[in-house]
Amino acid sequence: MTELLAFIVSHRVEMATRLGEHVVLVAASTAIAAAIGIPLGIVAAQRPSLSRPIVGLANLAQTIPSLALFGFLIPLPFIGGIGTRTALVALTVYAVLPILRGTITGLQNVPPAVVECAVAMGLTPRQVLRQVEWPLALPSIVSGLRVAVVIGVGTATIASAIGAGGLGDYIFRGLAMVDATVILAGALPAALLALAADAALAAAGHLADPRRRARRHVVVLAIVVLAAAVTMWSGRVTGGPAHLVVGSKNFTEQVVLGELVAQVVERQAGLTVERRLNLGGTAIAHEALLSGGIDIYVEYTGTALTAIFDEPAAADSEQVFAVVRDRYAALGLTLLPRLGFNNTFAILVRGDDARRLGMKAISDVAGQPAWKAGFGYEFLERPDGFKGLSAAYGLQFAQAPRVMDLNLIYRALAAGEIDVTAGDATSGLIEALGLTVLDDDRHYFPVYDAAPVARAPVLLQYPAVAAALRGLAGRISAADMRRLNFAVDGEKRDPAVVVRGFLDKIGGF
Amino acid sequence: MVEPAVQFAEVSASRGGRLVLRHVSLSVPQGQTVALVGRSGSGKTTLLRLVNRLLDPDSGNVLVDGRSTRDWDPIALRRRTGYVIQDTGLFPHVTVADNIATVPRLLAWPADRVATRVDELLTLVGLEPAVFRERWPDELSGGQRQRAGLARALAADPPLLLMDEPFGALDPITKGELHAEFLRVQRTLHRSVILVTHDMAEACALADQIAVLHEGELIACDTPANVKASGDPRVRALMGRSG
Repeated sequence: MTELLAFIVSHRVEMATRLGEHVVLVAASTAIAAAIGIPLGIVAAQRPSLSRPIVGLANLAQTIPSLALFGFLIPLPFIGGIGTRTALVALTVYAVLPILRGTITGLQNVPPAVVECAVAMGLTPRQVLRQVEWPLALPSIVSGLRVAVVIGVGTATIASAIGAGGLGDYIFRGLAMVDATVILAGALPAALLALAADAALAAAGHLADPRRRARRHVVVLAIVVLAAAVTMWSGRVTGGPAHLVVGSKNFTEQVVLGELVAQVVERQAGLTVERRLNLGGTAIAHEALLSGGIDIYVEYTGTALTAIFDEPAAADSEQVFAVVRDRYAALGLTLLPRLGFNNTFAILVRGDDARRLGMKAISDVAGQPAWKAGFGYEFLERPDGFKGLSAAYGLQFAQAPRVMDLNLIYRALAAGEIDVTAGDATSGLIEALGLTVLDDDRHYFPVYDAAPVARAPVLLQYPAVAAALRGLAGRISAADMRRLNFAVDGEKRDPAVVVRGFLDKIGGF
Repeated sequence: MVEPAVQFAEVSASRGGRLVLRHVSLSVPQGQTVALVGRSGSGKTTLLRLVNRLLDPDSGNVLVDGRSTRDWDPIALRRRTGYVIQDTGLFPHVTVADNIATVPRLLAWPADRVATRVDELLTLVGLEPAVFRERWPDELSGGQRQRAGLARALAADPPLLLMDEPFGALDPITKGELHAEFLRVQRTLHRSVILVTHDMAEACALADQIAVLHEGELIACDTPANVKASGDPRVRALMGRSG
């Protein structure tokens, strides 16, 4: 709990922005859904033959898993793509059903005798609707809206995966970091927001009760104030169109690198930058770049080679860079110079062992057959994992390697339960736990050099951006990256603050 | 000769594909109360609904003030035709006063005239205006609801009043009170009234003429005294049933 409070305090500015994005997403999608669902409900309530197919269709839309719906929408023109617009479309789809159902139920439950009298008294159909049916159906419509808002607050957390921002950013970041504090930093405010929005709508519905008509102006005032606040907030958050959009995938290192690129562009080129950090994965980030949803993000050459261009992994840094650069160029994308570190597998040993035995490279491990090895499940199974490694270096251990959870291997190594493992070369835990990375002296592991990739037209339009990013070439070592990761993951500091400190320290920006 | 308030001429009508009225001809003179009596399903409510065009006949004509309902604008026709039903259909979301004011407001009466009219009507139906004006329909007893429903139907001073089992859901004592109230109001106002009821005693107490419907056909139409004396077993059965 204290950790959570500390996290919230240190991230309060970012958090206010995320919360604002979340509120705007839910408020806007619910408003659009109401504008669709209520008239549709009115039409459907009058024609039972229509109401069944309409409700059926809305039901069907509701059953599509939200992540799948976002996935379907990304390649579509106009309503698709990456970011807020797509999220709004998906959230609206989910919000329509409860509002539609509330409207139909409310109208169909108006006592027939009341409607009959209204007609017999000479009210026109429009007057019957406005003066009689609508006010009597309103409580049911309000409960439909309440359901829609609560669903919306929950579903909007998933919108983070397609770069719409919101509190889901923390949830995805926390999941990627396996850090409950960060997950809670997103989940708890989202839950509170859902409760608050539900209570506010319930109160509004209560006050709109005709028996409290005297207070009706209070409700109107409250709604106006709320709408104004939301509008101002959204205006402040977006703050006019940015010159360019920087993206990142949804794990700590990517968020840090996205922030780094953004700050460098801001400092060097003097442009305004919008951040779409926490995109759901390589495919989504690449798609976003192609569709112009983002202009720049940092990719790893090995990932681009295998995951985007479907080529076998390779270990030659220069060769991989050249191949990937050419393939990107064919798509109108420019691969900029590498930042300087390689986020590949790292063979790790305890620092004191390395010093005591004078170990520098993986080939030195061959002289320690009595050591206990432990690896993550995937590394043990992959042909380019342990099998290939032991063949390439002639590694023989007396005991078969232990299978361990990837998140535990660093601590298991530090605690002496195992003596050697394969981790992530840029994990913040390496320095924090006093571990040493052994050099891959036989170039066994594929390279995953980090390098910014940008839309070529943007670089032509803003030559200063290309110059600024070239200035980052070779400036970030694996040790730097590990410290940055640890500052965010281990010390729970705000990525923006961490990056600012780093840029000040290395100078030149 | 004065035109009848309502005249049914050879009217046939069906509901849901079933013929429920067969060649009914009946005349409602100005200022008189005509009761439509019959068992459930005899077609009496359907006949009533033809008058304010909630339904249209399959064949034949319904004339209101000498003009076929097909030629009336339904909205204008309904605004000059009061309508009272068993569960009153009071709007639950507005006060008694606002319920009564509905049609006058649709007719765009000035606010002070509406307010005066509401108080006048509440007094007429025996509800103290100061007490009942701002009450909500669900705060009224069954009898009070019927009084308010009658006041609402009379609000715009319609020459014609349609009442469908208006006293059907009341206990015998309240029903007796309201019968007396209805006769008192009718002695003052002399409206043309069509009253649907299954209760022959009620019809005899309130109506100038009784029309008996049986399976969609008009089998008798006469004064209460003559209907009571009828030898038709179908009419006698209705008398017996209402005790």
